[in-house]
Amino acid sequence: MPADLSEFHDELRASASGLLAQGADWAAIAGAGWPGLEVPAAFDGADGTFAEVAVVLREIGRAAAPGPYPSVAALAIGTLDLLHPGPVRDGLLRAAVAGTAVPVVAIDAEGTEAFRLTGASGPDGARLHGSAGFVLDAPAADRVLVPALEPDGTAVVVDVDPAELTVGDRPVLDATRSLGRVAADGAAVRPESVHRFRVPDAPRRLRDRAAVAVACDSLGIAEAMLDATVAHTSVRHQFGRPVGSFQAVKHACADMLVQVTVARELVDAAVRAQADGGPDAAAASAMAKSYACTAAVEVAGKAMQLHGGMGYTWESGVHVYLKRAALNRSLFGTPAQHRARLAGRRARR
Amino acid sequence: MTGAALDDFRAGVRDWCREHVPKDWRPAQTGVPDEEFVAFQKEWFQELRRAGFAVPHWPREWGGGMPVPEQAVLYEELAAHDAPRLVLAFVSIHHAASTLLAAGTDAQRRRHLPAILDGEIWVQGFSEPDAGSDLAALRASARREGDTYVVNGQKCWASGAAHADWCLLLARTDPDAPKRRGISYFLMDMRTPGIDVRPTRQATGESHFCEIFLDDVAVPAANRIGAENAGWRVAQETLGAERGMTMLELAERLGGGFRRLVELCGRTGALDDPLTADRLAALEIELTGLRALCAKLVAADRPGPADASIVKLFYSELLQRITDLGTEAAGLAAHTDLRKPLSSGWESGAWPLDFLASWEWTIPGGTSEIQRTIIGERGLGLPREPREG
Repeated sequence: MPADLSEFHDELRASASGLLAQGADWAAIAGAGWPGLEVPAAFDGADGTFAEVAVVLREIGRAAAPGPYPSVAALAIGTLDLLHPGPVRDGLLRAAVAGTAVPVVAIDAEGTEAFRLTGASGPDGARLHGSAGFVLDAPAADRVLVPALEPDGTAVVVDVDPAELTVGDRPVLDATRSLGRVAADGAAVRPESVHRFRVPDAPRRLRDRAAVAVACDSLGIAEAMLDATVAHTSVRHQFGRPVGSFQAVKHACADMLVQVTVARELVDAAVRAQADGGPDAAAASAMAKSYACTAAVEVAGKAMQLHGGMGYTWESGVHVYLKRAALNRSLFGTPAQHRARLAGRRARR
Repeated sequence: MTGAALDDFRAGVRDWCREHVPKDWRPAQTGVPDEEFVAFQKEWFQELRRAGFAVPHWPREWGGGMPVPEQAVLYEELAAHDAPRLVLAFVSIHHAASTLLAAGTDAQRRRHLPAILDGEIWVQGFSEPDAGSDLAALRASARREGDTYVVNGQKCWASGAAHADWCLLLARTDPDAPKRRGISYFLMDMRTPGIDVRPTRQATGESHFCEIFLDDVAVPAANRIGAENAGWRVAQETLGAERGMTMLELAERLGGGFRRLVELCGRTGALDDPLTADRLAALEIELTGLRALCAKLVAADRPGPADASIVKLFYSELLQRITDLGTEAAGLAAHTDLRKPLSSGWESGAWPLDFLASWEWTIPGGTSEIQRTIIGERGLGLPREPREG
């Protein structure tokens, strides 16, 4: 990474961390320009890359912050970028950058359900059917971008007003996250709302992006939990010594640092691959998602253990991270599913 | 260097490997007498030297000067073409050279660096029966008498001592000083009278490690590295800095071991087993992380205080996991491999022996437990354990 970019990332990280510590709401996040970090200047964005988005995603994980930023920045803007330009798409992109729209992509985070279009896309328009069981930030959406298949199997994105859909809350243990079930039962679709992708393989790319975004979040979680555990075990005394001086505790912390360090390398590689769009992007995202999301659960779990009884209380806040890490692990492909993708790549060779 | 130039370099290394890597060295190096192993290692070293590949990490003036990205490519290609490892020269080209370069005098460098290129073999005389991971507890003594130090004591776990010409020796020069402040660092000629080397048979059945008994061995004062009683710092700085460079090669070699594991699982049909496929994918992910870590460590101007320990710990335990799965997947037939190719290092493909040999990396150079303590204290700043000295 060039030195100036590295310095810029440090500044961005510091300002993101500061703003999130103040409990930044959507207006503050949009005001900081984070939704448009990788969007070209022609659409009022900051003309950066996914690497800058990743810096913010990691800080959001570190703060276990609520809000739809990951959905909007990683998925919605990523989707809009993969579509052919046009007045409707361009307008939505500008609105997302400005924060005046909160578009959410109806990708099922469990990957089991999907949408399809039926009927001729003539003057009367087509109809949308299907559902997605777990859509991140669906309850907050004012626009829903629904990935769907046309009758001939072409992947498209349908821009839908949530009022045309059934969006139901799906409360989860992780109270920092909001998920919803999105269903379409023959919703009418205007022809201008159907957008085509400008690249092949776009749905797979979007899933990879989603996986990397969650890996960034999990890396932030793991870093936060390691920091908190080091701080706690350095001052908490038992048997006349700080507990961090006991070998069993110290070695557990060392293993946490090793996991965080390896996760950081894999996430950095996946983020670079996303920004470059290289051929290794799929494998890199599977590696980062599998490793970082597993590591975050283990590190947060170890943090709870090493905080002792205090760690298990509601007030400690450790449970907030453990729940978020566990949810992250199941979002957009389990570690085992991502490892199966890697293994499948080997089998085909 | 641009990507295209690096690609050209890779193509050149590839051509060289196709032409020069001995084709049948694995079977030929399995179970051979020690003299054949030593002769083969020395020939291979000179072959690499002629190509400029033997000591790429040394400074240009001493015969190296290869930029780090090229070194990474070189090790990647050597591993991909399954070239023999320079196991016998490991200490001389890495530990001895870095110590001489960082702390030696001009005279010491001029005497030893060219000799290492000509094939001089070095051994590391650090550990003792009562001072392994607690290295600072070492007791071998060096008593100054005029221009000479008289050394007495016992070293152990000295890899390759039976074939060594010179020894990197740590000995106590001030018995009254605190543990770490009374140690000096010497270069000891292994032909000096009073040195008795006895091979130690290891878990694998091999005897690379030796005990070295030192009985009134005279070491010229001119062969001390650094100031008297400053040997601990020399050892820490030179060897700590060195660990990164050796890891670059070892990580690529482990990649070669992993490829052999995948081939094995393909042959036995284990690739079709979802559980095995999952374990292989997990190992591949960890290997990718390790390679990235090593590349970063080598490229860093100032590595963090625990970076080398993190890499060593992660590498050695990953090596153990990979050879463990290889042993399981290879089945009973692999247990009939009673010898492994002597020039292969830890990834010979004789899986049960490789698995046993993986402890050769989680124990020496500071056990995994010691590494975790270093990582906790220097990397995370956790309170120190109560200790004396």
